Amino acid sequence: MNGKNQFLKKAQARKLQRFPELNALNISWAASFSLALLLLFNSFDWELKGFIVDSPAFYVAALYLIPAGLSLSLSICSARGIARSGAIPVFVRRISLLLAPFALAGNIFAAIAGFTTVKKSKSLEYQLLTCAFLNNLMVIMTASLNFFKDSLPDYFAPAISALAFTLAFYLAAMAALHRAQKTGGYKRLYPIAFASILTAATGNIFALILGLAIISKIRSSDSNRTIEWIETLRRIFRNYMAVLGMLVIIFLVTLSVCSIFTFDYAIATTNDYSNMLKPPSLAFPFGTDDVGRCVFTRIVFGARISLFIGIIATAIPLIAGGFLGSVAGNYGSKLDNGIMRILDIFHAVPSTLLTIAIVAAFGASTFNLIIALSLSNIPVYARTMRAQVMVVSNNEFVEAARACGRRKYEILFKHIIPNSLAPMIVRASVSIGIAVLSTSSLSYLGLGVEPKIPEWGNILKVGSKYLETNPYLAVYPGIFIIILVLAFNFLGDGLRDALDPKMK
Amino acid sequence: MLIRFVKANFLKTFSKPSTRIFLLAFGILFFLPMGFFYLLKRRGNAYKSQMQGIRRRLEENGEKASLEAEIRGHVEKKLAFFGKGGRRNAESEIAKILEVRLDEHVKQLLAEEAPEQKDVSYRGVVAESLENPAILLLFIISGFPALLFLLLMSNPYVKYIYERLIMMVFVVFGVTFLVFTILYISPMDASYNMLGENATQERRDQFNATYGLDKPYIQQLVNTFKGIVTLNPGISYQGGEKVIAKLMNKFPITLQLAFSCLLVSVLIAVPSGVLSALKPNSILDYAVMLIALIGLSIPVFWFGLILILNLSIHHHILRATFEPGSWKAYIMPAIVLGTSLAASVARTTRSSMLEVINQDYIVTAKAKGLSRTRVILRHALGNALIPIVTLVGMQFGIMLGGTAVTEMVFNIPGIGSWLVEKQFIPDAPVVVSGVVYIAIVISLMNLFVDILYAFLDPRIKARIKGY
Repeated sequence: MNGKNQFLKKAQARKLQRFPELNALNISWAASFSLALLLLFNSFDWELKGFIVDSPAFYVAALYLIPAGLSLSLSICSARGIARSGAIPVFVRRISLLLAPFALAGNIFAAIAGFTTVKKSKSLEYQLLTCAFLNNLMVIMTASLNFFKDSLPDYFAPAISALAFTLAFYLAAMAALHRAQKTGGYKRLYPIAFASILTAATGNIFALILGLAIISKIRSSDSNRTIEWIETLRRIFRNYMAVLGMLVIIFLVTLSVCSIFTFDYAIATTNDYSNMLKPPSLAFPFGTDDVGRCVFTRIVFGARISLFIGIIATAIPLIAGGFLGSVAGNYGSKLDNGIMRILDIFHAVPSTLLTIAIVAAFGASTFNLIIALSLSNIPVYARTMRAQVMVVSNNEFVEAARACGRRKYEILFKHIIPNSLAPMIVRASVSIGIAVLSTSSLSYLGLGVEPKIPEWGNILKVGSKYLETNPYLAVYPGIFIIILVLAFNFLGDGLRDALDPKMK
Repeated sequence: MLIRFVKANFLKTFSKPSTRIFLLAFGILFFLPMGFFYLLKRRGNAYKSQMQGIRRRLEENGEKASLEAEIRGHVEKKLAFFGKGGRRNAESEIAKILEVRLDEHVKQLLAEEAPEQKDVSYRGVVAESLENPAILLLFIISGFPALLFLLLMSNPYVKYIYERLIMMVFVVFGVTFLVFTILYISPMDASYNMLGENATQERRDQFNATYGLDKPYIQQLVNTFKGIVTLNPGISYQGGEKVIAKLMNKFPITLQLAFSCLLVSVLIAVPSGVLSALKPNSILDYAVMLIALIGLSIPVFWFGLILILNLSIHHHILRATFEPGSWKAYIMPAIVLGTSLAASVARTTRSSMLEVINQDYIVTAKAKGLSRTRVILRHALGNALIPIVTLVGMQFGIMLGGTAVTEMVFNIPGIGSWLVEKQFIPDAPVVVSGVVYIAIVISLMNLFVDILYAFLDPRIKARIKGY
């Protein structure tokens, strides 16, 4: 009897797992609730033994408790509905739209849950559009914190209105998509695809992907044939955490692009001795540092440097290591031996030490840092690629290509390399995060980016001097580093699952 | 018995260039006379000349030409099929194939006509003569070191370790060369940074002469090699300390730190990884994996600062500064440094446990009626340990190099923080020797892990034995 019960329980759990809405709702209430608790904890005054009721943290905490309760009750209702009739009740889907506006309070989890639950059949285009919408909305909200400052940047108004216009466009596109899917006029989406690619100029990569996906779907002659990269994307979008990671990364990319117009670089770099070491307030959300620079603005501009270094310091070893590895794996044992022995030497030195040696020789600068990080990463990529090339070149399709008289380099570039890229992509997505971490820790040691540039490690270094009196100066940049690295790790896990041939 | 053993091992050891050199060097008293013996034998051998004769005969009676025509036909047909021209390519391909085929043919003919004739090689001659007890005795007496070497190499483990050590020597020289060259071509001038910008040219030259910086590149490189090998890498520019003494002082601290964080992380990570693998997709599993992922994403120095802020500044539980000799001083650094290691170990433990736990032999073990803990601990975890050991071994190396940041945060006088302090000059003897000696320790550690493997994984044991 016990065994049967267990079996039924497992079957029930499997049934519930098939609904991504339930997952999104559960994460929404758990995350909203814990964020509310965290904010409440922050607004608690330990000396007075009571909450500071008129602090912004207290209000936001109260605001977060609403979506937490709503998502929890919706989650329970839909779980019951699934158990009874095998589907989520219609009223749950309708009510769930109420969760979406909480994006305005910065509650991204509730917003995702709302957009996920409200629509029954979610196409990839719909998911991309909601992500693009949420992304630009968050960018506008971050930028509007500048209203509390004394002055606004020169191009602030046109930039914000352009961003608001993209929001309206995404909503319109959602309606058009809905109609096209109902009536079947998918080919009429061409102008929307091009316009969406145009909005990608804000740095919104979701919009770019959306445009490309629609165009390649229209272009492909057979509507039943699946396009591989779109299928991979679909699998990624099945993973909640990977979507969240992508959202964070693309948000920071968009923020860095838009910060040219929406933030004032002077606030981040010029000293202002009238505002030294101010605690967090609405004008200075993360406080000011020892020479009166706004830490929040510095962090916004730091995202640009961190992303840039992370991406370049991953792209160089990806290409160089990938090339060396595929050459070593494909051509003869002598070349293989030569390349791998030289790379062994680089591999024997831990990357921190190699960086110290290079920086000791050529001085601390962004360029030297990128070179040092790239050099120490090349052997890892080369080894991965070499192993993968060796496995792939034993496949029958390679033999077939050889039998057809293809040249060796043609086989390598057309058949072997495209089929051995999956582990490289996964490794790259994770190692961007690692590069961001190393950059900040080297900057902290004074070996990385020049101290005058607002890089996250540099900001933290300044903050660490005031750990006793003004701990928030060191805490906030660290949290941002964690969030960015965590996002790349989530994306890497999602990519690994999506590219795994067993999952197809 | 002895004859067969010595002969087989001689052939095996002689066939690899890395072992051949040492074999010849150790047994030079024996192998040099054998060389003369071989030359004598080769002169009396008619194999080469007979081969030449057959070849000439084939050329004269037109067999070579007909073979060439046949190959030409094949190659031209192939090229026509693929629609590719290229006269010159075709000619070289034909010549290559012809040479191979002709050689095969000649050897075959020779074996038919004169089966008693054999090609002589030095290896063959020595191996044959070792069958003679008198020569074997001579070998045992005159080439005693070589015999010992053979005995050592007959053990597959020793041979494996030996070959890895030879590789390591190359890597160490490579690392020394790399780091020294980077520092040599640097635009930074140590004398400028040491003596200040007001120093006269004379004093600068004097500084350079004291530390041998005025010598040409090759000589400095050789001196560096010498210093590394003789464990006397010189005197540091700043403070004029003996580098090796200072290094010996600081190394135990770094090593202790690395080991304590290894201990902390394995003790936390392996049980939590096993637990989350036993209940996959449960809330516990998600929580452990989320914490592990966060642990991977925390910057080491930030985590250190937060711990100092909470444990030292706010609550006065632990001291923020390092006191030598007290185990309490290692708690915070070990937690900080161990977090990312623990995170990756927990993830690896989970995935390798999940892989193992669904195997047939686990079902068998359960069906035998073994208790659940015994199945998990002995049968599942034992086999799941292999990737974990690899990861821990590899991460240990990264950690030894990565302690610099932690040491700077907690003011620990270890190697990492020393190197960071000295790099601004740049203090070449310190940087080179610090990097090279850490690389040596890491390589030894990797070797140790690879040997440990053999005891954990019977498949690898078999591979090393067959090698």
